[in-house]
Amino acid sequence: MDTVYQFLQHAEEVLRGIPLVGGLLARLYHALLGGAPEWVLLAISIAVPILFVVSVFPGIFAYTTLVERKALGRIQNRIGPNRVGRWGLLQPIADGVKLLTKEDIVPRSADKFVHFLAPVAAVIPSVLLFSVVPIGAGLVPVDLNIGLLFAFAISTASVLALFMGGWASRNKFSLLGAMRAVAQVISYEVPMVLAAVAVVMAVGSLSTLAIARAQSGGILNVSHWFVFRPWGFVGFVLFTIGAMAESARTPFDIPEAESEIIAGYHTEYSGFKFALFQLGEYLASIAMAGITVTMFLGGYNGPGSGPGFFGGLISVFWFFSKLGCMIVLTIWIRGTWPRVRVDQLMSFAWKILLPMSIVNIVAVAMWHYITIRPIAWIGTTLWLVLWFVTLNKLAATEKIEKREYRYAS
Amino acid sequence: MEIAFWILSAITVMGAIMAISLRNVMHCLLSLILFFFGIAGHYFLLHAEFLGAVQILIYIGAVAVLIALATMLTRHITGEEGPREVLGGKWWAGMGTAAIIAGLLWAIIRKDALARLLPTEAANISYTALVGDIGRALVADWVVPLEAMAVLLTAALIGAVVIALEEVIRKR
Repeated sequence: MDTVYQFLQHAEEVLRGIPLVGGLLARLYHALLGGAPEWVLLAISIAVPILFVVSVFPGIFAYTTLVERKALGRIQNRIGPNRVGRWGLLQPIADGVKLLTKEDIVPRSADKFVHFLAPVAAVIPSVLLFSVVPIGAGLVPVDLNIGLLFAFAISTASVLALFMGGWASRNKFSLLGAMRAVAQVISYEVPMVLAAVAVVMAVGSLSTLAIARAQSGGILNVSHWFVFRPWGFVGFVLFTIGAMAESARTPFDIPEAESEIIAGYHTEYSGFKFALFQLGEYLASIAMAGITVTMFLGGYNGPGSGPGFFGGLISVFWFFSKLGCMIVLTIWIRGTWPRVRVDQLMSFAWKILLPMSIVNIVAVAMWHYITIRPIAWIGTTLWLVLWFVTLNKLAATEKIEKREYRYAS
Repeated sequence: MEIAFWILSAITVMGAIMAISLRNVMHCLLSLILFFFGIAGHYFLLHAEFLGAVQILIYIGAVAVLIALATMLTRHITGEEGPREVLGGKWWAGMGTAAIIAGLLWAIIRKDALARLLPTEAANISYTALVGDIGRALVADWVVPLEAMAVLLTAALIGAVVIALEEVIRKR
């Protein structure tokens, strides 16, 4: 928002600096907004980020579904959607039209108002998450000084939508599905937030922009990314797993394991309300991928990114490239990994992820206080590896023995 | 700012009134959440972003979810069995509580009382390093109350476990 405002104030000089079409753009800008009062510029600088968030990210969601269906199809030796448009490119639009025109069924004994409110409550927190994700150098919708905390607070509010949907349907399966989903989401929140604490400790700020800025510099703007630190790598893995469980992506999609059990909290939803649940879930997943990129993968930093007009454009390119990579990674995992069982899910969260994230916080402290870099590298790596091995040994309760076939030999 | 304050206040008061007057327990809970959001909005309006985020994180993300989980395990959610006496005829208890809270609020809101409590240069405090300041204040000036709270909460946690365990033993 601030960046847009500054840009609007100096737009003519900036635009004139662009080769070839700069003069034309500057004259166009002068004709449109030259000498506009202050409040108009302020209103535009507020409206631009909002419009960007509500138009670009749902668009990414639409095409994520297409990429997901295509990629899953290829993984499963199918072709995937290929009928609507070339390579199925219009498939998301067809899906949207189909869901919009479907009949909206509300169970007779459902709580009508809450049943209507739940899909809305699922989308709003997911959209709000994007307000603190920096998409380029200095380009963040709202630069809150507690940006990361705000993101976690808002993402916990999305649990309410599961509750409302499950309870208002007046269906046992919905209610059980909602409780299952809530148990998963709140138990994976703990290791996820603790994994983020490591980054906050290293940077000394909760602002997402400051976290991204702390990872600039180094070789090609790449070597300072936190994922290339021992604690950063562990944090990245922990946070990615936590974020995937939080947004109920495979292998943690027990809340709506479509091939095994009744769908869960959205059993009684059809048509566009169901689509809104899906939208909320995917948007939260994309926003969490954006926050992962910001915290561990250098955010918008990459070769050539930096301040100024062209550096900013390149930084936006790098951010969206990394976001795309994270989205494709989750799809890849969905296509290739089996779903975990519910007891495995819980024991993994409490016996491996939670202790590991606490160990990781200690590793950040070691990294901070050992000033000689090679010793810090070796020390933190050893510390993390030793704990990982120990935790694995401790958590392994039953030994898997060779299977004996009694009837099929 | 003024408009935002009135809208948020309307939401907060409406949520609070609905939370105590609706018949359905689940609707009461949702109104309570609305009230929590209103309070968080007020914190954001007062530039206390940290408090606002913590309000959402703890009251909505934890307390409300806990109440919801507990409520879903109970019967009589809809409140259709007719009116029930809440205080059991002890209306004077409610009146007494209301009087005490009103007196406390009056004592706190009065201008001179506030001025005595707050530093006079409140306007000069910078809002940029708020989280760090809160953290430093917690582990430096207020470390004893913080630790006392931690001990209290741990005791409560152990107590909860003990109570739950006793029930398991009694069932066998």
